[in-house]
Formats: sequence, C-alpha cells, structure tokens
Amino acid sequence: MDLSFSPSQQILQQSARAFLQRHCPLERVQALALDPRGFAADLWKEIAALGWPGLLIPPDLGGSGGSLGDALALVEELGRACFPGPFIASAVVATTALAAAGGRRAQALLPALALGERICTVAVLEEPGRLDPEALTLPVATPGRLTGRKLFVPDAHVATDVIVLGRAATGPTAVLLPMERAGITVAPLDSMTGDKLFELGFDDVEAGPDDRLGAPGEGWALLGPAFRVGALARSAEMAGAARRVLELCVEHARVRVQGGRPIGAYQAIQHACADLYRDVESARWLMWEAAWKLESGRSDAFPAVAAAKTYCGEACLRVARRGHQIMGAIGYSEEHPLHLFHKRILAASLDAGESTWHLEAVARSIGFPQEPPS
Amino acid sequence: MDFGLSGAEQAFADEVRAFLRAHPPETFPPDGTDAGYGSGAHSRTFTRALGERGWLSMTWPRAHGGQDRPLSHLFVLLDELAAAGAPFGPLAGCLQVSESIIRNGSETLQREILPLVARGLATFWQGYSEPGAGSDLLALQTRARLDGDHWILDGRKIWSSHAGIATHGTVLARTDPTSTRNRGLSMLMVDNRSPGLEVRPIRSLTGQVYHYEVFMDSVRVPHDWVMGKPGEGFGQLLRGLDTDRFWGRFYKAPFLRRILGLLVEYVRAERPGDPVARRQLAHAATEIAALRALFHRAAFLIERGLPATGPVSAAKVMADELGQRVLSLGMELLGPYGVLRAGSRWARLRGEIEHQYQTSWGHTLAGGTSEIQRTTIAVRALGLPAEPRAR
Repeated sequence: MDLSFSPSQQILQQSARAFLQRHCPLERVQALALDPRGFAADLWKEIAALGWPGLLIPPDLGGSGGSLGDALALVEELGRACFPGPFIASAVVATTALAAAGGRRAQALLPALALGERICTVAVLEEPGRLDPEALTLPVATPGRLTGRKLFVPDAHVATDVIVLGRAATGPTAVLLPMERAGITVAPLDSMTGDKLFELGFDDVEAGPDDRLGAPGEGWALLGPAFRVGALARSAEMAGAARRVLELCVEHARVRVQGGRPIGAYQAIQHACADLYRDVESARWLMWEAAWKLESGRSDAFPAVAAAKTYCGEACLRVARRGHQIMGAIGYSEEHPLHLFHKRILAASLDAGESTWHLEAVARSIGFPQEPPS
Repeated sequence: MDFGLSGAEQAFADEVRAFLRAHPPETFPPDGTDAGYGSGAHSRTFTRALGERGWLSMTWPRAHGGQDRPLSHLFVLLDELAAAGAPFGPLAGCLQVSESIIRNGSETLQREILPLVARGLATFWQGYSEPGAGSDLLALQTRARLDGDHWILDGRKIWSSHAGIATHGTVLARTDPTSTRNRGLSMLMVDNRSPGLEVRPIRSLTGQVYHYEVFMDSVRVPHDWVMGKPGEGFGQLLRGLDTDRFWGRFYKAPFLRRILGLLVEYVRAERPGDPVARRQLAHAATEIAALRALFHRAAFLIERGLPATGPVSAAKVMADELGQRVLSLGMELLGPYGVLRAGSRWARLRGEIEHQYQTSWGHTLAGGTSEIQRTTIAVRALGLPAEPRAR
C-alpha cells in the first residue's frame, strides 16, 4: 500500500496550484460564471501550453501520455480552483473515447485537442435525462441523416467537435461531427450552476461512414470506459472543491469574532468543521481507491467507481451545504465564492450518472440479482 | 498510488485465511462479550493461538523477540480476522500496550510483560476514566506515591473493558501530588492479582458484562512498572489515544461489510421484490467503502510515521456513527424479528443484529466520545482555537 503521489504528480499538483492561483483567482471564476458565454479563451490557451489538454493523449498523437492518476491529480486542483471550462468534457471524457475508438478521424482530432486548438464535447443525454443506453433515441445511420436533439451538452458553444451517441438499428452508435456541420444548432440552457449547458439540435444533419466512431451498435461499449473515467474526474473535481470549501470555512472560523472570541472556538462550529473534514477526506480517498482499481484493471473496479461517484456526490454536497451554515450570511451573497463551489459540486454530482444510477451498479456488486425488481 | 497488497502481504493474508479455515472461529470458547467493534468476543484460547503463530509480536523489533515485519501485516491480520468474525477481542489492547512498552519502556516491562503478550498470555484493561473524569479525563483523582521500591496506588477506575478477564491494567494516575491537569501524571502497569485490587462487573443494556469498575486500595506496584518515566503519562496518553482509536476501530469497516452481507442475503430471501431495501443496502455499501478508504489512509500515515490524528479521529467518528446507521437499518429490515435475541426460536441471522444494534450505542461514547473526536479534529487537525476552559 502506497497512498502517496508520484514525484511527477506532485510537480503537476504544485505547478497547477500556483498557475491557478495566479491566473484563475476566484474573482475570475465569478465573472465567468455570471457571463452567459463564460469561456476564458486566454486561460485555455495557457493550459494548452502547459500540456494539460494533452495529458491523456498518447505521445505519438501530440500528448504527454499521462496516466489516469495524473489526470485526476490535476482535476483535484481544478476543482479546488473551481476552474471553469470544458476540461473534463473535452480533455478527459471525449479524449478517452477518441483514444479508445482510434480510426482516422479520431487520430486526426487528438493532436489538435492536445494543442488546445480544438475542443470536443460529448452529447449523450436526451429528454429522460438518464445516462442509460435505453434512453437513447436519436436515430443515427452512417451513411444517413440525423434529426432530433440532445440535452445537457456541456460547452457546446466553444466546442469545435462533438461525439454524439445515438441509436442505430444495431444499437447505440457513436459519431464524431464537427460543430460547423450544416444543420447543427446550439441553444443555451439557463442553469443556476454557472456551468455552460446546451440543447443541441440536429436538423437533417449528414453523417457519413467516415464520421462513425467504432463499430455500429458498439457505441455504449465504446463510451462506457470514458463515462467511468468521467465519473472519476467529476468525483476528483468534487473532492477538490469540497476541500476548498473546508479551507474557506476554517479560515472564516479563525478570524470571524462574535461574543468575544473567534467562532471557531465554539464547539458548534468546531464540530461542523470536523464533519466537513471527515466528508472531504473519506470522499477523496474513496475516489483514489476506485481510480487505483480502474487503472490496475481489477475485477471490482466498475462498482468501485460507481460507489465513489455516489459517495463523493453526497459527501461533497454535505460539505457545501453545511459550509453555508458555518460561513453565515456573507456566504449567501453573490460576491462570496462559496456558492460557486456549491454549484460546481451540485453540477458534478448530477453529471456522469447521478447517484441512483450508480447505486444500481453497487447493488449488483453486493449480491443483488441483475435486474432491479419492478 | 497503490491500495493493493504486496506479494508478501497477500501471502500472509492467504496464510491467515488458511488458519481460519482450519480453525473456525466458533471452535474457540469465548471468555468475554463481543462488544461489537468487529473484533468479536474475548477468547483466551484464540489469543493464545494467535501467539503460537507469532502473529502477536510479528511487527516488533527483533531485539524484543519480534520479526520486524511491516505494520501492514497487522492491517492484513485485522482485516482477515474481522471478515471471518473471529474472536480477537483483546488484540487491540495488546497491540497498543506492547507498542507503548517498546517505545517508552521500562526495561523491566519490556523483559517481563512483552514475552507474555507475544504468547497470548497477557491481555489488558485501560484504567483511564473515573466516575468524575469522563470526557474531562484530567479531572482524575487516582494517585500513586513512591514508598521504597514500590508505588502505592489508590483510586477508582470505571468503564474498563474486560478488566475482569484481563491479566493486567494500564492505569493513569497522578504521581506528583503538587501537579495539576496534564503534568505529573504517570502510566502504571498493574497486575490484576495484586492485593487491594478489586474488579466489579457493570452489566450493560445488552444484558451482558463488558465493562468493569476497578477499585484500588493501597495496591503495590513495582517502581519500574511505569511506562517511560514518571510524569510522562499525559504525552503517552495522547499518543496512545491516537493509536488506541485506530487499533480499536480499524476492523469496523470489514465488520460492517460482513453485517451488510448478512442483510443482503436476508433481503434476497425474505423481501426479494423490495427495491427500497436494495437501494438502502447499496447506499450503505458506498459508505462502508468510504470508511474503509479513510482507515487505509490513516493506516498509511501511521505506517510512515506521519501525523494521523485527523484521519484517525475522523475515521472513528465515521465508524461509530455509520455502525449505528447500518445496525439501525438491519433492525428496520428484519422488522419485528429484529429484536428477538440470539437463541430464541424465531431469531433471524442468529440474533446478531439484535446484539450488535445494542452494542453500537456504546461506541460513540467509548474511546473518546464523538464530541471529543470532533473537538480533536477541529483543534489538532484543522488548527481552530481551543474553546476557553470554564473557571
């Protein structure tokens, strides 16, 4: 057992923290959250120069061939800074899917993603709002034409490419389309979390055999590993954000004086902070254990990821919600950063499979039969 | 990042499993109650069997008769014993006391007590709490004064687990009568056969005896049966509490996993169409997994000799409160059968839920209440200012 970060991961964490402190302070995050477009092209360029979008891309395609653990160590720092933008969608989920799919189109796109010149998002959810192959209805045929819509597509306004998971006669099928393909429309969803989410419309959009990712009918199998990595990344993001909430609360409890002493010298506040600490630490290490299981190919990795995503969502939301009580009225104001972290954690907990979906995987892993009872 | 077992650790885990298969836990007669922490009942024969295999002393330095094995082998041992439901109740006390004797001395204790621990012949009670000193441990009244080459020990301890069936106690006493609060305290080793020492059982709400009250009336203790030096008691207590909380709770996660397994089997057999029970148990499984990860984080820090107060106290709070939730869920799932005692005709799951449900209500009090743990986390791990003491 060695629960320490590798030297290169430590360097990555330190340099990421220093960079984000300097270039992405909370005032910037706040401004971007309030701005409907809310994308920092300059920041994206700079993190590309640091090699972050290419972390999970193989060296022969222009990336640095980092491990999943490297990416999660970075995402924890992004969560701690409440870094906005399409990093998880493009540099983690889409990148993982494209690297797995291979093929000419994916191999052509990956080097541009590594350079930060292009951004790829993923369009999966439809009206049922469930991450579930049964919920896919958008008809996909290659060759053929797509008509329908996808919901909750992250960062579609800045994406240059999109992986669309729809349904062919043979089953779930993925295509990779440039966003400028005729017939694709982008309409913003007005979300309270500050995340940029969109409705993607497809009006008689042409799709050729060349656009297909992987084999027809194999789309769910192709994207499954990317969803799992995405669930871990969202968990790491939540753990990092929750850690920052704890830091903000402890700092506030040290300096805010009421009744002649810092509020942190009252047990009511001390014990609330202790609960935050328990939730932050347990969520963080459960996430890392699941990441280790996935990376080392253990047979119990899938339910471990599901358990981590569920637990991180619940524990980190507890941290955010209790954090408001510790922070008092100032934390209710828009100018205070607490709500940014709360909303980021909320968005992450609902993305990449919300807890009821993941709990099914956990239920099967503890001995319940395959099909949930009707 | 590596949460896995090394080759040697895996081989040791296999060895422990093979031992448990060859010697099923239920073949060892219990001498004392299972207090529900996951370490099962107190069984002298089982403790001796662990000693015969060298497992009680395997992590000690060779100079003290150990094998210098890494601490991780103890984590493996505890995991495996708990998963099998083995009766290793006294083990945490043995680990904690032997660690303290090796670190602090005295040489006499190292020479006289350690060999008994290694063979499974010595088990321990803790003499910390007193009737007027619970969470405010430093209000203790027990005193010891030096008379020639013996300490004369007077006082009264309470809530001492297994004191009636253990061989020795570690007693925190004031040895400097002019001192106050955390100065002038010493940790004395007391032989249960000492004249003047009387042990009275306290029957708990479970109907069984786990705790004892210990009366000490001019008990003579050899002058060198002090852990470390006189006056060092408080520092040892603090360090001891960290490890005590760790060793006393590390096996709670595998224990709760075993309980969860029983409940899954029960629901599959008795309430197969119940989607709520399925969801509730899956949810509990995620929390047990998180508890286990937190304990492994603490174990890693302890093995590396790094500060672990925060993770250890957080893990204890979580273990004890999650234990109460899981056992409460068990009660709910068993419905009216849940309260039937072990041995009664209609008892389900051998009455285990009934017993462990009751024991769980003592866990958030024992070894430092959950409130004390939270204060410890806030002040010692998060650096919040200590609450001013009342004058």
